[in-house]
Amino acid sequence: MVIENRRLAFICYQPISIWPLVTFRVVFGLMMLVSTVRFLWLGWVEDHYLSTQVQFKYYGFEWVQTLPSFWLYTLHYLMLAAAMGILLGAFYRLSAVVFFLTFTYVQLIDLTYYLNHYYFVSWVALLLIFVPAHAQASVDTWRGRVEVCEQVPAWSINIIKFQIAVVYIYAGLAKINYDWLVLALPLKIWLPAADKIPILGPLFKMPIMPYLFSWAGMLYDTFIVFFLMYRPTRIVAYGAVLAFHIVVGILFQIGVFPLVMIGATLIFFSDEWHLRLWTRLRVLSSQSPIHHSSFITARAAPSSFNTIYLSIYLIFQLLFPWRYLLYDGNVFWTEEGYRFSWRVMLMEKAGTATFYVKDRQTGREGVVNNGDFLNTHQEKQMAMQPDMILQYAHFLKEYYQKKGVHSPAVRAEVYVTLNARPSRLLIDPAVDLTQIQDSWQPKKWIRQYDDF
Amino acid sequence: MLKKAKNLFFITGLLTGSLLMFWACNQSDNNDPKATGFDRKEMLRQYADNIVKPRFAALQSGVNALQTATQTFVNQPTENSLDALQKTWVTTYETWQTAKGFNFGPAGEEGLRKGLIEEIGTYPAAPTKIENTVRSGQFNFNNFDRDARGFLAVEYLIFGKTPAELVAQFAEKNRRDFLTAAVGNIKTRVDAVVAAWPAYQTEFLAKDGTDVGSSSSQVYNEFVRNFEAIKNFKVGLPLGRRPGQTKAEPEKVEAFYSGESLRFIKANLKAVEDFYYGRGEGKDGVGFKEYLESVEGGKALIASTEAQLTAIKKALDAVPTTTPLSQTIVRSPAPVDALHTELQKHTRFFKSDMSSILGISITFSSGDGD
Repeated sequence: MVIENRRLAFICYQPISIWPLVTFRVVFGLMMLVSTVRFLWLGWVEDHYLSTQVQFKYYGFEWVQTLPSFWLYTLHYLMLAAAMGILLGAFYRLSAVVFFLTFTYVQLIDLTYYLNHYYFVSWVALLLIFVPAHAQASVDTWRGRVEVCEQVPAWSINIIKFQIAVVYIYAGLAKINYDWLVLALPLKIWLPAADKIPILGPLFKMPIMPYLFSWAGMLYDTFIVFFLMYRPTRIVAYGAVLAFHIVVGILFQIGVFPLVMIGATLIFFSDEWHLRLWTRLRVLSSQSPIHHSSFITARAAPSSFNTIYLSIYLIFQLLFPWRYLLYDGNVFWTEEGYRFSWRVMLMEKAGTATFYVKDRQTGREGVVNNGDFLNTHQEKQMAMQPDMILQYAHFLKEYYQKKGVHSPAVRAEVYVTLNARPSRLLIDPAVDLTQIQDSWQPKKWIRQYDDF
Repeated sequence: MLKKAKNLFFITGLLTGSLLMFWACNQSDNNDPKATGFDRKEMLRQYADNIVKPRFAALQSGVNALQTATQTFVNQPTENSLDALQKTWVTTYETWQTAKGFNFGPAGEEGLRKGLIEEIGTYPAAPTKIENTVRSGQFNFNNFDRDARGFLAVEYLIFGKTPAELVAQFAEKNRRDFLTAAVGNIKTRVDAVVAAWPAYQTEFLAKDGTDVGSSSSQVYNEFVRNFEAIKNFKVGLPLGRRPGQTKAEPEKVEAFYSGESLRFIKANLKAVEDFYYGRGEGKDGVGFKEYLESVEGGKALIASTEAQLTAIKKALDAVPTTTPLSQTIVRSPAPVDALHTELQKHTRFFKSDMSSILGISITFSSGDGD
C-alpha cells in the first residue's frame, strides 16, 4: 500500500520535534510509578486479587489466572521497575514492553476492577513500545546505547494525541443523553453527596449545580481537545483541564487519574513550549543551538507496514466504542457494549442480586449468600452487570455441584436502580443461567427497560 | 505577560459571573427541601445521642443485671435463682438486639478483636468447646473460639438442660467459675464500648461526608448487615434455605436453648425499623427516612420501603408464638418460609436502592469508574 494521500503522509511521517514526546514519556512514567506504589501501599494486591475466591473474567480472556502471592508481588515490583525505566528512558523499549504486559495482565485478572482509565493506560503503554520517546533526556542516550534525535516521525506523537482525543470526545458524546443533560442525573445524586468537601461543598447543594456541571462536563469532554490543539485557546483550555480534573478528583474516588490526564494533555503544547520546559529543567543547555535532525530514519520512511498497523489501530479505536449500536435496548441498562467505550462516570447504578440454586433431582431450591463468595466490591459490580451475573451463576453451579447438589440449576432475581429510578428486574428471573453461555450475541434474557 | 494577565482576568471574570448567577438562581426556590439540602451532621448527631449511646447504655445496665443475677445463682444454685437468671438473660439479650447494629467505632474491629457482635453475639454456640473449656478450668476469652463465649455460650450454660439438671450441674466449681467469667467478659467488652463512645463521638460527627470511612457509610453498612443477618442467619439458615441444605437445621436458630428466637427476631427487626425512622428514646428524630426525603427518587423509595416493612411485620405476626421457632421450622415451616420471602423482597430497598440514591460509597473505588 503506497500512501497516495499526501496530507495523510504529512500527518504521519513528517519529522517533528521530539520534545513533546519526551515530556509525555516522563510524565507517564512518573504517574505509573506513583500509581503502582499507591496500589501496593493500599494493600490492593491482597484485597483485589489474592483474598478473593472468585475472579470475574474478561470475555475471551478466561484463561488468565491469578499468580500465587509471591509471584504477583514480584510482578508488581517488575511493573514498578518498568515504570521507572520509562520515566528515566532506561532500557526503554524493554521497560515499555514489560510495563505493558504486566499492567495489562493485572487488569485482566478480574473484570470487577475495570476502569476506563486503566484501559487507556494499557493502550498508551502499548503505543509507547513503538515510539522513540527515549531518544532524548534518557539514560539510554546518556549511555550511548541509543542515538540522540531531535526529531521523530509525526505519527509517534500524533497517535498519542489521537488516543487522548478519542478518550475525551467519546466521553463527551456519551454524555449527550436525556438523563445527563435534561435530568442532570447522576450529578443530582453525586453533587449533594459531596457537600462536605472544602470550599466547593456548599455550592453543590444549589439546585442549579448538577445542571451546570452536567453541561460543563459534556462540553468540556467533547471540545477540550480542539481548544488544546488551537494555539490561541490553548492556555485557557489547559486552565480548564486543570480546573476540571482537580474538581473531579476531589469529588470522586478515582485515584491518580486526574493527575494522569493533567500530565498527558501537556503533549498538546507546542514544540517551543516543551523545549523551554526542558531548557529550564537544565536537561538542555540554553546556549547550545538545537542541533539538527539526526532523524530516526528507520521509522521515518512511510512504509506500508507502518501504515497498515496504524490504520488498524485507528479504525479499531474509532469503531469499537460504537458496537453498542448493534444491540437492542438501552446500553446503560443492558451494558451490552458499555465497556471499552469511554463511558466515564456516566450513571449511578446499583443492584441487589439474589441467586437461587436448585437441585434438579430433589427439586429443593436454596438461596445463596453472596457474601460467602464475593468481596463487597465484587458483589456490587456483579449485581448490575449481566455478563458478571452469568459468570457468577456458572461459578455457583460448579461450586454446589461439588457440594453434592445434583446438576444444579441457577436463576437470579436481580433488582437494579438506574439514576435514582425505582429498582426493577434486570434479567428474566426464571431463566436457568447455567444453560446460557456468554457471547457477542444479544443477551435475550436481559429484560428491556421500557422507559428509555 | 500582558497576555497572561488578560487570560487570568478573563477566567476570574467568568467564574465570578457564573457564581453570581447561581446565587441569583438559588434565591428563587428556597422552599424546596431538596434545595435547602440535608444536614448529614444533624442526622449523625441524632443517631449518636438518641439511639446509639442510649442503646449501648441500656445494654450496659442489662449486662449489669445479668451479672448480679449470675452472682446470686452461682452463690446459691437453686431452681429459683436459675429462673431469675434465665429471665434476666432473656431481657438483656432482647436489649442486645437493639444495640447489635452499631459495630463501628468503639464496637468495630480492631487488630485481633472483631466487632462486638462477633465477640459476644456469635451463634450457634459450640457445646463441645464450652464443655471442654469448663472441664479444663482454663478460660481464654480472646482466642478464635467466638462460639464458646458471649451471650449464646451463657445461654447454653443456663438453658441447656432441665432446671433440675442444671442446678445439679452447677454444683461443680469449674462450671460456676466459667459462667461468672463468661458474663464478666461480656461486661468488660460492653463497658469498654460505652466508655469509649463519648470520646469517639467527636470523630463520628466530624466524618460527615459520604465517602468510604465516613460515619454515614459505616452506619449504613452496619444497618444493612443488621437487616441481612435476620434474613440470612436467623431465618434462612435454620430453615434450610441455603443451597446444599436438604432439610431444616433447627439447632442453628439464634437462641436455640431458650426457645425465644422469634422474640429476638422481632426485637431485631424493630431496631432496624427504628433506626430507619430515626426513632430514639421516645423521640422520632432525623434518620435515613428524612435523608431519603431530601434526595432525588427518595419519595418513591420511602413508599416501597414502608409498604414492604408492613408486609414483613405481617408475615412475622403469622409465625406461631406458641412453639419455639426451632420446632416451627420443622413441623410447619410455611409461615417462616413466607417471612423469609418477604425479607428477601425487602433487601434491595435497603441494600442497593438506598445507597445508590443517597450517594453513599460502600466500597473503595467508584466502580462505574473514571
